[in-house]
Amino acid sequence: MFKSLKTIAAASVLAGSLAMSASAQAADTIKVGVLHSLSGTMAISETALKDVMLFLIDEQNKKGGLLGKQLEAVVVDPASDWPLFAEKARELIEQHKVDVVFGNWTSVSRKSVLPVFEELNGMLFYPVQYEGEESSRNIFYTGAAPNQQAIPAVEYLMSEDGGAAKRWVLAGTDYVYPRTTNKILEAFLKAKGVAAEDILVNYTPFGHSDWQTIVSDIKSFASAGKKTAVVSTINGDANVPFYKELANQGIKAEDIPVVAFSVGEEELAGIDTAPLVGHLAAWNYFMSVDAPANAALIAKWHKFIGDDKRVFNDPMEAHYIGFNMWAQAVAQAGTTNIDAVRQAMYGQEVPNLTGGVAVMNTNHHLSKPVLIGEIQDDGQFATVWKTDGVVVGDAWSDFIPESAKLTADWTYPWVCGNCEKPKYLTN
Amino acid sequence: MGPISSRLLALESKRSWTAIVILAVIAIVVVPFLNLAVPEGSLFHLSTFWVATLGKYLAFAILALSLDLIWGYAGILSLGHGAFFGLGGYAMGMYMMRQIGERSVYGNPDLPDFMVFLNWDRLPWYWFGFDQFWFAALMVIAVPGALAFVFGWLAFRSRITGVYFSIISQAMVFAFMLAFFRNEMGFGGNNGLTDFKDILGFELSQDATKVGLYIATVVALLIVYFICRAVVTSKLGRLLIAVRDAESRVRFLGYSVTNAKLFVFTLSAMIAGLAGALYVPQVGIINPGEFAPAKSIEMAIWVAVGGRGTLFGAILGAFAVNGARTYFTAAAPEIWLFFLGALFILVTLVMPHGIVGVYKSLRSGELTAAIGRRLRRNNG
Amino acid sequence: MTTSHARGEVSPRRFSAFIGTALLSLALLAAAFLPANAQTTAADQDPFALAVQGLDARQFSDKAAAIDALGALGDERAILVLQAFADGRMYRRNADNLVVIGDRVGDIFNLTSPLTAESIGTAASGDIKKIVANNKLRGQIRGVLGQLALFSPNADNRLDAARNVIASPTEEALGLLKRARDRETVSKIRDTLESGIAVLELASDDRAVRLAAVATLADRSDPDIKSALDQRLLEINGEFIEPDPEVRAALVAAIEDINDRLALFGLAENLIFGLSLGSVLLLAAIGLAITFGVMGVINMAHGEMIMLGAYTTFIVQEIFRSSVSPEFFGMYVLVSIPAAFFVAAAFGVLIERGCIRFLYGRPLETLLATWGVSLILQQLVRTLFGANNREVANPDWISGAVAFGGGVSVTVNRIYIIIFCIMVVAALAAFIRYSRFGLQMRAVTQNRGMASAMGIRTGQIDALTFALGSGIAGVAGVALSQISNVSPNLGQNFIVDSFMVVVFGGVGSLWGTIVGAFSLGIVNKFLEPVSGAILGKVVVLVIIILFIQKRPRGLFALKGRAAED
Repeated sequence: MFKSLKTIAAASVLAGSLAMSASAQAADTIKVGVLHSLSGTMAISETALKDVMLFLIDEQNKKGGLLGKQLEAVVVDPASDWPLFAEKARELIEQHKVDVVFGNWTSVSRKSVLPVFEELNGMLFYPVQYEGEESSRNIFYTGAAPNQQAIPAVEYLMSEDGGAAKRWVLAGTDYVYPRTTNKILEAFLKAKGVAAEDILVNYTPFGHSDWQTIVSDIKSFASAGKKTAVVSTINGDANVPFYKELANQGIKAEDIPVVAFSVGEEELAGIDTAPLVGHLAAWNYFMSVDAPANAALIAKWHKFIGDDKRVFNDPMEAHYIGFNMWAQAVAQAGTTNIDAVRQAMYGQEVPNLTGGVAVMNTNHHLSKPVLIGEIQDDGQFATVWKTDGVVVGDAWSDFIPESAKLTADWTYPWVCGNCEKPKYLTN
Repeated sequence: MGPISSRLLALESKRSWTAIVILAVIAIVVVPFLNLAVPEGSLFHLSTFWVATLGKYLAFAILALSLDLIWGYAGILSLGHGAFFGLGGYAMGMYMMRQIGERSVYGNPDLPDFMVFLNWDRLPWYWFGFDQFWFAALMVIAVPGALAFVFGWLAFRSRITGVYFSIISQAMVFAFMLAFFRNEMGFGGNNGLTDFKDILGFELSQDATKVGLYIATVVALLIVYFICRAVVTSKLGRLLIAVRDAESRVRFLGYSVTNAKLFVFTLSAMIAGLAGALYVPQVGIINPGEFAPAKSIEMAIWVAVGGRGTLFGAILGAFAVNGARTYFTAAAPEIWLFFLGALFILVTLVMPHGIVGVYKSLRSGELTAAIGRRLRRNNG
Repeated sequence: MTTSHARGEVSPRRFSAFIGTALLSLALLAAAFLPANAQTTAADQDPFALAVQGLDARQFSDKAAAIDALGALGDERAILVLQAFADGRMYRRNADNLVVIGDRVGDIFNLTSPLTAESIGTAASGDIKKIVANNKLRGQIRGVLGQLALFSPNADNRLDAARNVIASPTEEALGLLKRARDRETVSKIRDTLESGIAVLELASDDRAVRLAAVATLADRSDPDIKSALDQRLLEINGEFIEPDPEVRAALVAAIEDINDRLALFGLAENLIFGLSLGSVLLLAAIGLAITFGVMGVINMAHGEMIMLGAYTTFIVQEIFRSSVSPEFFGMYVLVSIPAAFFVAAAFGVLIERGCIRFLYGRPLETLLATWGVSLILQQLVRTLFGANNREVANPDWISGAVAFGGGVSVTVNRIYIIIFCIMVVAALAAFIRYSRFGLQMRAVTQNRGMASAMGIRTGQIDALTFALGSGIAGVAGVALSQISNVSPNLGQNFIVDSFMVVVFGGVGSLWGTIVGAFSLGIVNKFLEPVSGAILGKVVVLVIIILFIQKRPRGLFALKGRAAED
């Protein structure tokens, strides 16, 4: 018995070291690291992003790869464990020698890997809408900054078409993204003349499942005779019970619309949306948008994944844009050298799936369109409003005094992610 | 000097001393040499990834020792040791946070970024003193110790034992997690403390600093090991074992069970705090995730896998489980939980005394006989 | 059918912001259609048909004009059309751009003509395009329909309509409300209509009418009415909206009365919320009360048994969706209950026979092994079903809410969960108390050796007891699938709470678990409004820790030899 155990152990150690050395030696492929949680609490959202990366890499390889080499995905599972994210990031860069990493979802996981990418001069594409207040030389942020999601959504709800809301509930999960977004929104609403007593801010823990009290609070807050809207930055698992409670307590979107920034097609796939028709979400992409590029990509995606029920969502489009930008930049630079690719990234353009062109700015954030959609009974969104052109992502919000004075620009003369004056470095 | 050193020498057999010295030399001399002196690209070069990862395992090993001390010897299974580990980590994190000073994003010399962001205009009282390393180092041990003392005093005095103790310790760590998630607590909420720049003036991004932290962790592990060794071989250690096996009888014999348990529980918490403090600079972040009940359960699993009640087994278990995790999350990212789950089941079923137990029975040739007995009994 | 001119109006379905759309009036819209219809059938000249076709406009403002037109025509067919539009059942047939009502059945749509309400065949999803409404349009439709609904034959519709009028009163509605009140026979609806009339009469010019209105409203207890009274006490530019001091005094008194009643209702609401949370906790914990409480197995895979139950519900639901006629769809929940029980129980037997039976008497080691089992089950479900949430729909009969007055309403699914929870606990208690297996189970857990000597096959009883505990956890999964996520992490969210409940109540005591769950639920819900959701939970945990100091064996400690170590 023990002998066989020992043999297994020895074999696995051997296999492991072989795998490691093999992967270190194979230089005839370009390696793309995929750092998304496949287990633990975040697997719900991140697994689909891993799938989409494999899809995009497969598509690129069908087109002949890059620089005459095939692309190879290196997938690891950081297991929704934030320090493990840092370990895995270091492993991808140092052990597997990947040329670029696509990954992360939560802000805390990004904060955890950030020093690793800066220390080892790696390159990370971060595809999720986030709180802003950051610009790292080694990270490209392809999701929405608050000014590309939250502010347009609130402006829409204030407009005649959105229902002219006068009273606001800002409900969120207690972590940095909702805190920041709500802080920006409070400043914005007050600047628009909304009185402090017409704003109710509420925070709940992660995975909060008993929403009776809060939904009933929202109802009584809304009974003050003014049109009330809810801005939800509720994250992840907590959304399903929240929406079920909303639906069952009979809060209709016509009376109290709820606009969410973390609820997309993937999240709706787990909810019966019939009672939720009309509640809103603001994103840079909706799967339902009727555009040829979108339809073509979704068809290919369904073929790749072998399931035509699988949805495509905003962070997946962000990866699509980020990956194609990176591929173009590598092709232009003629190398996968991080510094050369970074230079080539600035001004890189990729058509959005919903029309228009996304541009990478020198603050490492994208210019993208903003769409507002209402939930439909088939789990999709119907676009009810869209920006005319694209909106430039702000790394630093204009509505937070201490951050309004900061500039992020990684080209000469600034060369800095958070400076009040240029650094004049030539690097 | 004399009696102490002879007491130290007597802790281990000659063979064990040889093994410990060899392992220590490999850990302290060979590993840093392969990382720093052997050029990159050489076959023998050890990447910084491995130094950082080994350093993390070593911190976990210290934590596993602290748990083995109470579970293996006193029969107290704490499912809340993450609380002490986390508090130690936060204390160290607060020191490193204060060191950032004006290099922070918003450039406030006193307040960490998240406080500037929450519109706080001054440092909360419990952050004072953490700009001094000696104070932080003291707190690393004192805060978990004090918490353990109060918690243990309440629990042991009321004779809360076994499963009840495990569950309320889990309640404690869960409460810590929820509390630290709150941004108003002043510990950075969900993101915790991160963006550290340096420790004692050494830049954290330098390889040499990493090696230094690694060596410090090895040394700490050695010291902690000998402290635990000294405790369990002392008279108190024998008393604890007696408590583990028959608490009521020990009480009837006139020993103060409460005091003995309280002492060892507090000591264990201090060691866990030290482990946390060594862990944080090496991984670069401390956040409420460390207080997750699942993490505390896993700590118990390290000890069980290695073999409880052996100290050395705890170290081995921490390395084995975390090594398996590092390996499988990269080699089989989609299905690694099957392996990890199967490992836990197999260990409890086939290796009730952990890796150390297997080694021992292999040496005495008892293993096959034991398995045979077990199978016969279960079939009968 | 419709000509190219009309198509030119609607076909570029691209957004071009909201410029100048307000200028387009219904007249313009109608004018655009009129010449186009010169050569078409008589039906198209019907203004009703034109207005219906006008719903398929590019801009929401044009759609709004068409809705107003439909309302103004006073045609009864408008009710059907507007309801369909508000429900998102309005489509444009691609072949001829005709506006139709579509009802989805599987992958095809049954089409109904909005003009004749007759079936006009079917279409595949690619052949028709949905005509999108937004919140504003739905609100507008409700306004148009609402006034008609005051005279609906359906009492529920009348009540809803009356409530809507109170929530957003308009001067024009006053006459309508009075007419409705005079015709109303149901007293509850009549009261609501009276309230609505009184709210509107608060703004009357006649002081006596205002006083009477305040008197009418003083014995109501509805937050909407309170806010209507509050509004009258506001000052604008230093002048009270309500000019008369006597009326103001009456208003203040009335508001105080309502506040007192609302506070009482708030208390009741918290109590109901607490009971509901408690029943969720109890359902989640009751299976653990058996596997952990009775058998002494620290079953870390307990949460995964709940998860398996929830996934069984999902599978049963999918089977019903695909192969059972829609009118019986709501029954899937009932079928899920035994299915979930047996699935979870089967896994329970597997775990007990394969793993736990080797570990009896070593409770802390069962913790490790079942933790491993829990990891494997989570990954198994993730591999089979995917990592994301699965949709489990609330059937109609467990959707919605019951209003208790005073703004207190409890959702129907939670009421069912409270009832279901009581039934499960009662059945379990009876089973353990009266069945032969229950007797043997108690015998084995109290004295294994003696039970064995009496001829009870203890191994079999162990397996069945564990299966019972697991099966009940599976049944809890059915209930939890109605209010929570169905994801591989479902079990993890309940495991800590479940252990707290069992330990707080007293290990091995079914009564303890019941009392423990409900008291924790209620305490939590009374703390939440005071301290916020997060701190409330922390406080509850601290209370548990301190309580255990006082009673180290929980609320209902087992007495006797079995309770000792």
